[in-house]
Amino acid sequence: MSAVLEVGQLVKTYPGSRKAPAVEAVRGISFQVEAGELFGLLGPNGAGKSTTLGCITTLVRPTSGRILVDGVDVGRDPVAAKRRIAVVPQVRNLDRDLTVREVLTFHGRYFGLPAAERESRADRLLEQMQLTDRANAKPLELSGGLQQRLLIARALMHDPKVLLLDEPTIGLDPQARRLLWETLLDLHRQGLTQILTTHYMEEADRLCQRVAIIDHGLILTIDTPEALKSSLPGGHVLDLDARSESPLAPLLQGLPGVARVEAIPNGVDDGYERLRLFVVPGDGLLDRVLHAVRDARGDLRHISLQAPSLEDVYVHLTGKELRE
Amino acid sequence: MTAFMALLRRDLLVASRNAFPLLMATLTQPILVVLVFGNILPRLGLVADQFRTVMVPGLMSITMLMAGVQGVLMPLVTDLSGSREVDERLLAPLSVMAVAAEKIVAGAIHAALAGLLALPAMMLLMHQVAGVAVHPNWLALTPCVVLCGLLSASFGMTLGARVQPRFSGLLFAVILGPMMLFGCAYYPYAALNVLGPFQYVFLLNPLVFMSEAMRVAVTPNVPHMPIVLLLAGLVGCVAAFGWMGARTFQKRTIV
Repeated sequence: MSAVLEVGQLVKTYPGSRKAPAVEAVRGISFQVEAGELFGLLGPNGAGKSTTLGCITTLVRPTSGRILVDGVDVGRDPVAAKRRIAVVPQVRNLDRDLTVREVLTFHGRYFGLPAAERESRADRLLEQMQLTDRANAKPLELSGGLQQRLLIARALMHDPKVLLLDEPTIGLDPQARRLLWETLLDLHRQGLTQILTTHYMEEADRLCQRVAIIDHGLILTIDTPEALKSSLPGGHVLDLDARSESPLAPLLQGLPGVARVEAIPNGVDDGYERLRLFVVPGDGLLDRVLHAVRDARGDLRHISLQAPSLEDVYVHLTGKELRE
Repeated sequence: MTAFMALLRRDLLVASRNAFPLLMATLTQPILVVLVFGNILPRLGLVADQFRTVMVPGLMSITMLMAGVQGVLMPLVTDLSGSREVDERLLAPLSVMAVAAEKIVAGAIHAALAGLLALPAMMLLMHQVAGVAVHPNWLALTPCVVLCGLLSASFGMTLGARVQPRFSGLLFAVILGPMMLFGCAYYPYAALNVLGPFQYVFLLNPLVFMSEAMRVAVTPNVPHMPIVLLLAGLVGCVAAFGWMGARTFQKRTIV
């Protein structure tokens, strides 16, 4: 496998003005994406994901650092780099004066595709994205989900090496989101290299082969979702809702098999507290927890043992919930 | 070059589809002005006959300026403020400067056509009125229309890339309005010698060169600015605004 995208020591500081201080959006990010990989940049809003994507797509000028797309230096030869990438932006910037089909054929023209290829490719992509019967509609007449699929079709018109998607499912209803996930997984099976930014943990977990968790302009960790989750202390998560006369957390913290206890605000003041325990399951762990609660004369309302999610990884790395 | 031509083709296609509203937007003003100042007022004896001849090239230049502004400035302001349709162009395989140049060329074509259409429309409205001495010199008209088109489009880009959308309404009141009044549209530059050295202040207004160029092209009998000064002004403005517009466009789009 070879790297299709290499980002080295990328820094972007937006200059300040009299009214606003300078913003260090990206503070030294490096990563590589292999050919055919579906790679995720996961982090809260304002973490630097979109800026990183902007630098890769030539729309943001990096303060320093180097980006190679398929061996082409984005800073030195942006036009050649643009031929190799395609972007599905966060703002749906479809050409509202053209029809759905023309959006595709004109995009093909911009990239110099010969007429026959342009037409056949547009037909194929309309079919693939289930847009054929809307070919003569205007983009703004389409639903959000269909517009998103048209953006992907447009991006694929010039056969890019790398597809970059900025928060592709934001604002979509659950059904449209799932459909879009299927589309991206299909493209992945066809061997297309994809990089997506998201702040949805589930999305990164389901789609991405590797995930970079990014916060405050820095990458905290990069690995497969499985490896990230198994890196958590204990490897499993035990959530419980309990009420007791004395605080439970210190009691549970001392139990064998409990690596760490986090109190999670549940938003309701009903006397019950929600605790998340990072645990090694088995070996009488549940018995010990139940006993501990009973010994504290507590009442246990809910208990669940589950495999950890990326959200747990994020909480563990940053000590905070993902900011929405 | 392929990408440049493809973008231009797209712009011309979209413009041709919106031909009617675009025509209305650019031709309404000159037609109404001609109706009042070229037809009604002369009949009432309130305006000198000469004025009608002087007014025709001036209204052509105003029409072209407005077309350039509408064709480049307004779309650019909405684009930069949120719709970001411009990003698709910026991601096409050509340089950012070439994207800006294409916008200027498309705007120039729009402006040139508007100017050329305004001429017969005005002539038609004044054909019953005596004393209108409009004699288009086609050889001079072509380069003048091309240069004036480029000037209005690049001026539109310079403003459009700079102005914040919330101030775009102010543009007409504060910049375009005064430009039209002091743009030698309703009086020839040569006649301003009565103002003494103050005449030269008018040269700061790019519309002056456009009005004078149209004057040379369609009313050669009316006194006009020396050709050398005229050409220098037109070419200088096109170069200056073209460069400034493209630079500002680049700064605004690539952060």
